[in-house]
Amino acid sequence: MNKTDQQLAQQAKDAFDRSVDGLDAATLSRLNRARQAALAELERPNRQWQRWMPATGVAAAVVLVMITFGGPGENDVISAPATDLDILLSEESIEMLEDLEFYSWLDTQEFEGNGDLG
Amino acid sequence: MMAGTANFSVSCIPKLTGARALDKERQLRQFLAEVERRALRIAEIGVRDRDEALDLVQDAMIKLTRNYASRDREEWTPLFYRILQNGVRDWHRRQAVRNRVMVWFQKAKPADNDCDVIAAVPDPAGRSPDEQLENAEAMQEMELAVHELPPRQREAFMLRTLEGLNVAGTAVAMGCSEGTVKTHYSRAVHTLRDKLREHWQ
Repeated sequence: MNKTDQQLAQQAKDAFDRSVDGLDAATLSRLNRARQAALAELERPNRQWQRWMPATGVAAAVVLVMITFGGPGENDVISAPATDLDILLSEESIEMLEDLEFYSWLDTQEFEGNGDLG
Repeated sequence: MMAGTANFSVSCIPKLTGARALDKERQLRQFLAEVERRALRIAEIGVRDRDEALDLVQDAMIKLTRNYASRDREEWTPLFYRILQNGVRDWHRRQAVRNRVMVWFQKAKPADNDCDVIAAVPDPAGRSPDEQLENAEAMQEMELAVHELPPRQREAFMLRTLEGLNVAGTAVAMGCSEGTVKTHYSRAVHTLRDKLREHWQ
């Protein structure tokens, strides 16, 4: 910026500063109320999770429909998550959780074996 | 405008507790008090309406408090102005739509008959009416010229010159690169120099 531009910017800033200093009492009072209202947000509980409620509801509905109208083999769909949940909620050792895939496979093998016997 | 609340709890600032939360609340209170008047005037130049500007500033304060209270103090200024500038842009979009609708209905603006007693209080800076008038005229010329700038140039000029943000801070506030800030700012100054030459030199 050349000297003229700097001078212009300085003049604009000076005029702006004077207009800020000259704000009337009513406006300052309203700004104060606005600030208090903003700070009151600090005491509100964090409601970030509410943003996800619609999406969560839709997802839950989709899962419910899939489970209900899953067609043939629906028992497998239900049993697998239920089994996983049982394991996760139990106090089994972490090694068993790491081998979850193996136990899941083993469970399938036993199921198929029983089927052959029947 | 929303009603204020006198008592504040500090227990809900995200991820902060105890003394740190208390300190953060104090910093935030101080920051808002420091920035609010300049922010109001900047928003007012953007929308040419004090009531609308007050609402925009309050919205920006609330959003900053709600979403960024836990950030470092140094980050608040560019974040606050980014929120405010987004608000100003949204306001212009809504206003454009409203104006298109109003053309059809030609709805008359209600007369403002409110008599504000507090507004009639003498100038707090103690200036004479002549000084106030002179400054008001100078400011009016500048305000109009700045308002007529293209939106991005206006933002760059107001944030750099009037608010005093550096190039990096302005870039954060505008959501663009530092090079873009420099370009917009340079063009804004050239335009203003041509417009205000007669009155300001």
